Amino acid sequence: MELAGKIIFWFYAVVIVAGGGLAVTSPNLVRAMLGLIATLFGVAGMYLLMNAPLLAFMQLLIYVGAVSVLIFFAIMLSRASATGDEGMEPGLWPNVRAFLAFALPMGVLGLTAFLAPPAGVLVPAEVDPAKLGQALLGEYTLPFELISIVLLAAMAGAVLIAFEKRGSK
Amino acid sequence: MDVPFELVRIVIAILALAAFVGVNAVILVWVERKAAGFIQRRPGPYEVGPQGLLQTVADAAKLVGKQLFTPAGADPVLFWLAPLLAFLPIFVLLLPMPFGPTATGMEVNLGLLLILAFAGLNVLSLCLAGWGSNNKWSLLGAARAVSQAVAYEIPLLLSVLAIAFMSGGMDLSAIVREQGGWPWQWNLVLQPVAFIIYFVAAIAETNRAPFDLPEAESELTAGFHTEYSGMGFGLFFLAEYAEMIVVCGVAAALFLGGWRGPFGTDGWWWFLAKLYALLLSMIWFRWTYPRIRFDQLLVLNWKWLMPLAMINLLVTAFIMKL
Repeated sequence: MELAGKIIFWFYAVVIVAGGGLAVTSPNLVRAMLGLIATLFGVAGMYLLMNAPLLAFMQLLIYVGAVSVLIFFAIMLSRASATGDEGMEPGLWPNVRAFLAFALPMGVLGLTAFLAPPAGVLVPAEVDPAKLGQALLGEYTLPFELISIVLLAAMAGAVLIAFEKRGSK
Repeated sequence: MDVPFELVRIVIAILALAAFVGVNAVILVWVERKAAGFIQRRPGPYEVGPQGLLQTVADAAKLVGKQLFTPAGADPVLFWLAPLLAFLPIFVLLLPMPFGPTATGMEVNLGLLLILAFAGLNVLSLCLAGWGSNNKWSLLGAARAVSQAVAYEIPLLLSVLAIAFMSGGMDLSAIVREQGGWPWQWNLVLQPVAFIIYFVAAIAETNRAPFDLPEAESELTAGFHTEYSGMGFGLFFLAEYAEMIVVCGVAAALFLGGWRGPFGTDGWWWFLAKLYALLLSMIWFRWTYPRIRFDQLLVLNWKWLMPLAMINLLVTAFIMKL
């Protein structure tokens, strides 16, 4: 079973990286979104591999089912075409900045993983949703509430932006 | 090397489900056309086979034989990915469906969540189909599909959550086992509001009339699948009928006691009976109600279903904690 696990891991890893590559390089925004969805699927597969089905299904439900569909809606409403501004080749500076934004976290994380590889870890036991809920409202109340404040701020911001546009017309 | 039992079971289940989906689509289309004929006082198909029973088989053969055509200016990758993306998740959706005490493809702890998660792919396939076709009708259909599906998913989730709260889990088989065989032991009695919300939202999610705005044939020719020929359209069609089985199957399991029957007559026959009763009522709705207007669609969801589902969920949570 260990070999099967490794094969599946590498399969998902390839899906994630290939999807990410497509999302970054494709001049067509809808195809780029497809790459993003492939990546999200790969990550959900990784969660399943780590015996966290709740997280995996939530990932699919929220990111694939809702967020990516809303992104699609945004693409459709903005009528972005492959020959528009987004399809242009970016200059030198944007490329350098994008590379730095990619390389810095990747370098730190990659170096830590290579220098201090974790000893083999057993697959953790599956946590049932009830326990997860108790932990979120017990031990981890503060981070949980902080996240909800972030979401509230985002929502308030969205409403604000929408109102400003309506007023300026 | 020995093959694990679970794997064999899943492979057999997927094969059986593929057969079920195919045969069921053939029968359901015939039933739909006959019911439409009955409601509109005309005979419906009756030439091919006894009572026109083989009409759908002939139609299916015709669909398979047609040329696959990619319209000019369409994005070929997105265009052909869409019908596949509509059809393939069907097997994942039906895998945790409790057809009978033992006739379940795979008993998943989070079966309900699995179904809800993969059901979202349907909207995505409509989007890709509408976008990839390079046709204004298709794109309009996709835009309608998105706004409809995203909106109606919320009351659907909330009404399903009410049942999950009561049972304390999301295992469909366990939820069925907790209900009794007699109608007054069903979850329907305890959660009538949730059932109505679920069924309305489910019809909207499957894009069936009166919520068939994404394909509204009188306005958008055929909406998102205008440009599809042959089996490209066939896959969308199969997916629609399979989605009907999924939503009605979930409704039967959650609210109508699934495979439980009175006098200890538990078995898949009860599940199928309830499933087809729900499917028939969906067909009945389609030929009874006119298509809903877009503003009515939004008002119904955001002003009625959503607050009702929210209140229902709060009351359920409150009572469960008492």
